[in-house]
Amino acid sequence: MTTSESTPPPETGSTPPPATGAAPQGKARSLTWERRRTSVARFWRQYRSHRAGLYGLGALLLIAAIALAAPLLVGSDVQNVTGAPGKALESPSSRFPLGTDQYGRSLFGLLLYGARISLSVGLMAAALSVAIGTLIGILAGHFGGWFATVVMRITDWFLVMPALVLAIVLATVLSQSVWTVVLAIGVTSWPTTARLVRAQTLAVESRPYIERAQALGGGHGHIMARHVLPNVMPLVLAQTTLLISSAILTEATLAFLGLGDPNVVSWGGMLQEARETGAVSSGHWWYLAPPGLAIAVVALAFTLCGRAVESVLNPKLGTSR
Amino acid sequence: MDTQGTTTGTTPHSPPPHPARPRAARRLLATGAAVFALLATAATPLSPAAAAAPQQPAVQAKAKAAPRTLTIAVAQSVDSLSPFLATKLVSTSIHRLVYEYLTNYDVKDAHTIPALATEWKSSPDKLTWTYKIRDNSKWSDGKQATAEDAAWTFNKMMTDEGAASANGSFTANFKKVTAPDPTTLVVELKKPQATMTALDVPIVPKHVWEKVGDFSKFNNDKDFPIVGNGPYVITDYKPDQYVKLKANKNFWRGAPKFDELTMKYYKDGDAAVAALRRGEVGFVQGLTPAQAASLKSEKNIKVNDAPGRRFFALATNPGAKDKTGKKFGDGNPALLDPAVRKALFQSVDRKAIVDKVFQGHAVEGQGYIPPRFAEYHWKPSAQQQIAYDPAAAAKTLDDAGYKKNADGKRLGKDGKPLDFRILCHATDPNDKAVGKYLTEWWGELGIGLKVECLDSVSDRWLAGEYDLAFDGYSVNPDPDYVLSIHTCAALPATPDASGQTDNFICDKQFDGLYDRQIVEYDKARRTDLVKQMQSRLYDTGYMNVMVYPNALEAYRTDQIKSIKTMPEAGGNIWGQDGYWSWWSAEPAASGDTPDQDSGTSPAVWIIIGIAVLMILVIAFVVTRRRSSTAEDRE
Repeated sequence: MTTSESTPPPETGSTPPPATGAAPQGKARSLTWERRRTSVARFWRQYRSHRAGLYGLGALLLIAAIALAAPLLVGSDVQNVTGAPGKALESPSSRFPLGTDQYGRSLFGLLLYGARISLSVGLMAAALSVAIGTLIGILAGHFGGWFATVVMRITDWFLVMPALVLAIVLATVLSQSVWTVVLAIGVTSWPTTARLVRAQTLAVESRPYIERAQALGGGHGHIMARHVLPNVMPLVLAQTTLLISSAILTEATLAFLGLGDPNVVSWGGMLQEARETGAVSSGHWWYLAPPGLAIAVVALAFTLCGRAVESVLNPKLGTSR
Repeated sequence: MDTQGTTTGTTPHSPPPHPARPRAARRLLATGAAVFALLATAATPLSPAAAAAPQQPAVQAKAKAAPRTLTIAVAQSVDSLSPFLATKLVSTSIHRLVYEYLTNYDVKDAHTIPALATEWKSSPDKLTWTYKIRDNSKWSDGKQATAEDAAWTFNKMMTDEGAASANGSFTANFKKVTAPDPTTLVVELKKPQATMTALDVPIVPKHVWEKVGDFSKFNNDKDFPIVGNGPYVITDYKPDQYVKLKANKNFWRGAPKFDELTMKYYKDGDAAVAALRRGEVGFVQGLTPAQAASLKSEKNIKVNDAPGRRFFALATNPGAKDKTGKKFGDGNPALLDPAVRKALFQSVDRKAIVDKVFQGHAVEGQGYIPPRFAEYHWKPSAQQQIAYDPAAAAKTLDDAGYKKNADGKRLGKDGKPLDFRILCHATDPNDKAVGKYLTEWWGELGIGLKVECLDSVSDRWLAGEYDLAFDGYSVNPDPDYVLSIHTCAALPATPDASGQTDNFICDKQFDGLYDRQIVEYDKARRTDLVKQMQSRLYDTGYMNVMVYPNALEAYRTDQIKSIKTMPEAGGNIWGQDGYWSWWSAEPAASGDTPDQDSGTSPAVWIIIGIAVLMILVIAFVVTRRRSSTAEDRE
C-alpha cells in the first residue's frame, strides 16, 4: 500500500478534483473507478457491435420490466381462483386477450405473472450452478494432484448423468417448492462450468506473475481469490448468461411434469394445467401456445445475450463473428 | 471417360466421330430409356389398381366376416386379474365380464336379479340360505358350472387368508358352505347378514383354481384364455398395454354382439380423446369438462354425462389408531376439536366446486350415499346441516377460542398458528383444483393449507400421516361395504397392517347402527337404519362430502349402434354394477370402415404449427450454442 501511494500515477486522463483530505488514496480509488468505467465503456462498445446480442438484451429488459411491473399491470389478485373474473376456458376476447383458464382467470395476467417465477428460478438456479462450478473448478485447477483427480472424476460422473433425470429424482424426493426446483437444477448443471473454469485456472496459473505472487508469499487463498478468480470471472459471467436459458427450460420441464410448486404460477405449470384440463384435445390453443412461446423467447434472449457477452469477454473467440 | 471407352470399343471401324454427336445421341437414348422406365413404373401401380377394382366388393365382404372388435380406452392399471385380489375399478369391471356372480343387479333400477343362482331363500331363523344354481352355464373349457364351484370359492375365502384379500368382508360371517347337489348351494351363517342377495363375489371354476398354491401371489395372468363363464373370456393381457377379451358364444343370457373387446391403455387423457376422434377406439371415459364440451360438437360421437356412483369428500384424520387403540400417525391434534372441523366445512362452497371445478358435471354433496341410489340417499336436516357460511365459520372459531394474531392467522390451543396439510392425488386434476379453492377459503378464515400432491397417497394414508385428505369411493347398489369401512372392526390390527378402514373412524354409535342394519332383512327398516348411520357419520364431522361427480364418457356412434346405460334411463357406461354395457353393445352396421376424414380442426393445425416453431427455435438455440460456445473451443 505504501508503495502504491508513493509512486505517482504515470498519466491521468482526467484528474478529479481532490477535495478530500486523503488525497492520494482518493486519487488511487478514483483511478480504479476510472479504469473500470473505461473497461465498461469498452465492453459496451464491443457488445453494441453484436446486433443479435442487442436484440436479446432489449427483449430481456422488456420481459424483466413486465415481470417487475406485473402486479401493477394486471393486479395482484390475478392468481386467485375464488372471485376469478371470467367463465371457464373462454376464448380470447377484448376483456381477456388470451382467454381464460379452467378457473376463469385471465391467461394474459397469468402469463405476465409466470415471467416472475420463470426468470427468478432461472437466474437463481444458474447462479447456484455457476457458483458450485466455479468453486470446484478453481479448487481442482489450483491444487491439482490426487485432489483434482477425485474432484474431476466426480464432475465427470455428474457430466454423464442425464441431468433431467437427476433433477426429477431430486424434485420428487424433496418437498414441492420453488427452492427445490432451484436446488434440483443448480446441483445438476454445474459440471460444464467446473470443467471450463478448471481449464482457465490451469492456464492462468501457468503465467509467471502467479509464480511471482507465490514467491512474495501469497498463500493459496490469496492466489485463488486475487489472481485466478478475477481472470476466470469473464468466462464465468458468459457461462452464467448461457446457463440461464437452459435453467429456464429445465424449470419449465419440471413444472410441466408436475414437480414444481403447485401454488405458484409458472409457464411450465401453465402448460401442465392446460394438459390436465384437456386443452390439447379440445383445441384451446390460446392456453398452450403463449406460455410455450414465452419460454422459447426468454431462452432465446438469454442465449443471444450470453453469446454476445462471451465473444466480447473471451479474446480467444475473436471479433470476427 | 467411360463413354469414350465404349465408343471406341463398339465402333472400331468407323471414322473418329465428332466428340459431341455421340454424346448427344447417347444422352437422347438415355433420356428415352428413362422416360420409358418412368412410364413403366408409372404403369405398374396402375395395373394392380385396375385389377383390384372388381375385387372391392369381395374385400368388403371379407371385412364383414372379420371379427367385430370394440376397442375401449382405459387409464387405470390392473392391480390383479385374480378375483381374490382385485379391488381397482378396471379389474372388477373385467371380472364382471368374465365370471358370473350368484346374483346380478337389474340394468333398470339395480334390484337384485338372478345370475348364476336362479332363485334363493333364507330359513325362518335367517341363518341358512339356499341358492338354486342354474344348469345352463358352462365354463369356457366346456365343463358345467355347478354349485360345487360356488361352494369351493366361498370355502377358499373362508379358510385362506390370501383368498379373502378383496372380498373377505362378504364371507367373514359365513359358518359353513356346502353343495349337496350340483344345482343347490347352502350357506350357513353365524348371524343374519343382509347382503346375502348382493354377494359381489366372482365364482371361479374349482377345477382350474384348486391347482393354485399361494392365493395372495397368484395373479391369474399366465394361462390364456382364462377359463370363465361370463359374457367374455380374457384371451390376452399385457400390463399397461392392453387386455383382450373374446365373446363367450355359449353365455347363458345370450352371446354379446361384438366378437372381441380390447381395453387399450392411454395414460394420457388427451391421447385417448385423439384416438376417439380418429376412430382408433370406440369408447373413452373419464373426460374433463373441456374435452366433453369439444366432443359434443363432433359428428359420430355421443357424449354421455351421467350421475356418478362416487362421492368426493374431505376426510380429516380423527387420530389414527389400530384395533387395540394404539395411536400412530401425525394428524394435527387441532382437528380433533369438532369446532375446527365444523369451521373448515362451513367455509367450503360446494356450489362453487360444482360450477367451477366440475363445470356443472357434478351434484352438490349432502349425505354419504350419492342420490343415484335414491332409496338409501340421505340429506341432512336444516338444523344439522353444515352449510356454506364463511361468517359463521369465523364465529365458530372465535367462540371456540381460536383467535387471530396480528398477521391474521388463527392460533391453536398451543399458541402456534393453525396450519394443515391435505393429501392429494397428483393424478387427479380435480384434487389439485379443489385444493386451490380450499387454500383461499381457509386462508380467509386464517388457517394455512399445504396441498401435498403425491403419485401414490396410500403409504402416507395407511400410516395416518395426514391432517386432511381428498377421499372418494364408488358406491355399490348395496351400501354395506361403504358403510363397513367406517366401523371400528375395519381398523388395522397393528399400526403396520392395512385394515379395510377408510379414514380411521371408530364411533360406538355408528357401529351399533351398523350391527343392526346388517342383520335386518326387512328392506324398509334397513333403509331407515342406513340413513341413521349416514346422519351419525355426518354429525361426527370427520368427513364431509363435497360433490358427487358425474361420469363423463363418450363413444363413437359409427362403431357402437346402441349400448345400455345403468340405470337404463340416463345412467353410465363404464364401471357398471354388472356386465350390461359391453354385453348389450351392438356394432353399427355400416360403420365398420374407419372414418376417413380425420376432421382435424384448424385449431389443431395452429397448435401443431406453433409446436413446430417452438421446436425450431429451441433447436436453433441449442445448435448455435453447441457450435460456438467457449467450452467446445477450449
